[in-house]
Order: sequence, then structure tokens, then C-alpha cells
Amino acid sequence: MTAAPAVRQVFAFFGFLGRRTGKTRVFAVLGLIPVALAVVVRIFLHGRAGLMADVSTEILMVFFLQFYIVILALFYGTSVTAEEVENRTLCYLITRPIPKPAIVLGKFAAYTALMFAMVSLSLTLSYFIINAVRLGDPAIYWTFLRYLGVLGLGILAYTAFFTFLGTILKRAIIVGLVFGFGWENVIQYFPGSTQRFSIVHYLKSLLPYHPPVVGGGGGRGVALLLFRLEPTKPLVAVLALAVIVAALLALACWAFRIKEYLYEE
Amino acid sequence: MTAVIAAKSLSKWYGNVLGLNDVTLEIEDGITGLLGPNGAGKSTFMKLITGQMKPNIGAVTVRGRKVWNNPEVFWGIGFCPEQDVFYEDITGWEFLTGLLRFYGYAPSEIKDRAARALDVVDLTHDKDRLIRGYSRGMRQRIKFAQAVAHDPGILILDEPLSGLDPLGKRKLIKLIKGFRDQGRTVLVSSHVLPEIEALTSRIVLIHQGKILAQGDIPYIRELIEAHPHQISVRSSDPRALAARFVGDRSIQKMTFGADGRTLVVETHKRDEFFGRLTGVVLEAGLEVDEISSPDDNLQSVFEYLVGK
Repeated sequence: MTAAPAVRQVFAFFGFLGRRTGKTRVFAVLGLIPVALAVVVRIFLHGRAGLMADVSTEILMVFFLQFYIVILALFYGTSVTAEEVENRTLCYLITRPIPKPAIVLGKFAAYTALMFAMVSLSLTLSYFIINAVRLGDPAIYWTFLRYLGVLGLGILAYTAFFTFLGTILKRAIIVGLVFGFGWENVIQYFPGSTQRFSIVHYLKSLLPYHPPVVGGGGGRGVALLLFRLEPTKPLVAVLALAVIVAALLALACWAFRIKEYLYEE
Repeated sequence: MTAVIAAKSLSKWYGNVLGLNDVTLEIEDGITGLLGPNGAGKSTFMKLITGQMKPNIGAVTVRGRKVWNNPEVFWGIGFCPEQDVFYEDITGWEFLTGLLRFYGYAPSEIKDRAARALDVVDLTHDKDRLIRGYSRGMRQRIKFAQAVAHDPGILILDEPLSGLDPLGKRKLIKLIKGFRDQGRTVLVSSHVLPEIEALTSRIVLIHQGKILAQGDIPYIRELIEAHPHQISVRSSDPRALAARFVGDRSIQKMTFGADGRTLVVETHKRDEFFGRLTGVVLEAGLEVDEISSPDDNLQSVFEYLVGK
């Protein structure tokens, strides 16, 4: 079978399998946390909109951008190849007439689709609960789509990175944790070009940003939560993310093709 | 006859551990049994010929084509792994149809093939149960089903009878023989001689990563017969028993056990010795507590063959 149909078949099988696993149930429940918080905030905000809704939305985005999509991508990305080795099920895949890269790409596509579904559902519910009193304002829909797009790109980029890690390392989760919650959280605040060595830098560069108003009684001071030091231009950020995804997936496919996976006794 | 599977000077290391050592082997149509104790290199050999591992030295081909990173070759190969591993959260039906997708069949053909494979292994009624709820025997059978569902010409079965009850073993042996009768090539591994004997008369003996011998059952038995068997007889008077066998040419060596009640005999002609033993015991009026053959197992046979 050629690569494209093989990727489709792997995508279909693992899309189905991914929905059945306990891991997906756990992460779906995790996605309910912002929804529950949004309900609490909505009750607290009762009748008020504007600033507090903006504050809550930005807190929400910090949760999604710097925790939820990172943890999802870490567990699903590293498992693209590592779970087959750990569970010893790899033999069922590599003794089929499909190219090895199709396994990586098909599973990557299936898992990113699954993660995007979980994130979209959680974001949609929590965002519109918080902004319920402004549903007539077209601006909130545009902002919502922009958030969703950024999270989608984030899922792709982080999952590609963790897929590559899982393909080349035995204990990819630990390295992934250090990267996702250490490196990414620190490097993005480094001045100069260093910050560009983090994925979150490009993601934050794409977010709508409202700088604090000096002497404005606080204004939209919560923008600090999504603070960007020296943002990259949106088009460049999208291109950079696309290059990161393509390069890491190509490396993962190459490594999976040439590497032998030995089961631990 | 052209070899279906050919290994030439095949060697494989796991770090400093030698998994397979300079194996040259040709496997033809019909059933070939790969016999060896645990850790002999059977699974390593099977992983090499199914492209799961790459040889450090040498080459392996299936129908003249290389296996490593050559997915096209797997249209014709069905592999049943030794490990009891599955995607546990799906049903037997979903497992089979899911794996059949990788052959690019149309949905209706996937269903037909999965149904046929389930029927072959007698799991049709349990197809909608989660695999994690299957018994050991059912798991072995669904594993076999996934290997045959795409009608491969070559079946590679790694310890397929392991963990099955006698009835299950008999059924699977019948199935494997059925595949042979359809003109397919089957390579089956086991560490149990009678299991292999029940399947085929063509055996490859493997030990410590090396092919010790290959041939049909009579040839292998002849090889084994060329080495003395140890038989231990615990009786009331082992010395009196020994005295009666001193002139017997079938006996190569006799020693006494430390407990003072055991006679250990080494002989090339085990059956002849057992035939005489009964008469001698009756004639001498000895009491025999136990007769055992401490080396009557595959490991000992291999040790004889490697000259330990």
C-alpha cells in the first residue's frame, strides 16, 4: 500500500482505538476543569461583563496554552511509538504491508485530531460560559476563533516534538516534562533571540494582545498572564510553527524507519 | 526446490549478548519446526525473518526479497508473536478488522475476511467481547486469526501452542496442518519436542544462537541416540543391581548415588536397558523405589549435542 492510503488506514484505526483508551477518558475529565471554573466565574461575575470577563478568558488561555495542550501532547505524542514498544504491540503494525512512516504519521494525525476535539469542546464551553453576557458582540467570536486556531497549532507543534522524542528516547516522558514545563516556561522570557527557541513564543505571538494601560486604573493589566517579550510577526510565527511541525515529523519518521525497537525483558 | 525463507550467515547481538550466531538456513514449503530451549534464539530468528529486527551480519530473504524495511513482503507473511499482547480495549472483531485495514481491502472484504478468520479459530460467538476479557486460549486463537486473516502464503508462528490446554493444542495443530495441506509454508517454534513432533517431521535444532542440527525426526533422534542417556534407579540394593549389569554391553558407565540407594546408569540403548531392567529386578527380588531419567528433557539433549 502506498503512503497516503496507509496513513488514512492507520489514522482510522488509532482514531478509533484512541477514543477507547482510559487515557482519553482521564484527559477528557481534565478538560472539564476549565468548564467548571467558568461556571463558578459566571456565577461570581453575575451581570458584569467587560474587564472581568477578559481577565477570566486570559486565565483560561493560560490554562489551555501552558498546561492542558502541553500535557495532552506530552502523553499522546510520546505514545505514538513508545506505547507500541512498551505494550509490545509494535509487531502487529510493522509486519503489515504499510511503510513505517505511515504508522508515525497516521497515529500522529489520529491523536492530534482526538486532542483537538477535546480542547475545542472544553474551550467552547468555558469561553462562551464566561462571555455569556456578550454573545451579541461579534468581536468575541473572532477572538474565540483565534484562540482555537492558536491552540490547534500548539497541539500540532507540541505533539510533533513529543512524537520525535518518543521515537528516539526510551524515557521520553521525563525529558518531555522538563521541556514542556521547564524549558518552555523559562526560555520564552529570555530577551533577544533565545526566546525563539521555545514553541510557546510563537503561539503567544499569535494571540490577541492588550497591553496594560499606564495609569488607567489597571486597564487590561492581566495581559501579563499572556506576556510576550518581543513577539514575532504573526505570519512568521505561523511559518515557524509549520517548519517545526514538518521538520520534527520528518525526523520522527526517519528515526522510526531506521531504528530497531527491542522489548525490555 | 527454491527456499521460501533463506538466511545467510545471520548474526545478531543485543549489546554484548549474542542472540544469533552465523545462522545459515533455508526453509521450504510445508511445516518446519524450530526447536530449542528458552533463550536459544528462536524468537530472534523469527524477528529477523519478519523484519522486526535488522541483522548485524548476514542477510535474510523471503521468496528472494529482503525483509527489513520492505513492507511489500508482508502481503505474503502472517506472523503470530509469542507474547500475550493485544490492544486490550477493543473487541476481537475490532482487532481483526482494524488490522485488516492495513491491507487496503474494501470494507466488505475486511468484514468477510475477519468473519472467516474468526470462524477458523472458533471465536465467532465471542467476537464482540473485549479482548481483555478473553481466556488465555481465546487470546492465542485470536492471535492466530490475525496472522491468517489476509491469507498469507507464509506463516511464522512463535510458540503458538504455549499456554493452550490439550484440546486447544489439538485444534490448533489441526489448523496448522490444514495450512500446510493448502501448500503454504509454516515455520513454527517451540521448546517442547512432542509439540513439534505432532506438527512436523522436519526440525531445526537451535541452541545458544546456533543451528545445532536440522533434518527429519528420525535423523534428529539418531543424533540424540548417539549420546548416552542417564537413568537413575533407586532400589534396596543398588550394588546387587549393578553386579547384574556389569557384563551388559549396552551399559557405558555406572555410578552410585551419595544416598547409597541409587544406581546411575549411562547407556546408548535406553529401551534395551529398560527391557532388561524389569527381568533383572524380578530375578534378583529387588525392591525398586524409583526409576527416573534425570536428563530426559530437551535441555539435556541440547547439552549432549553441544558436547557439555
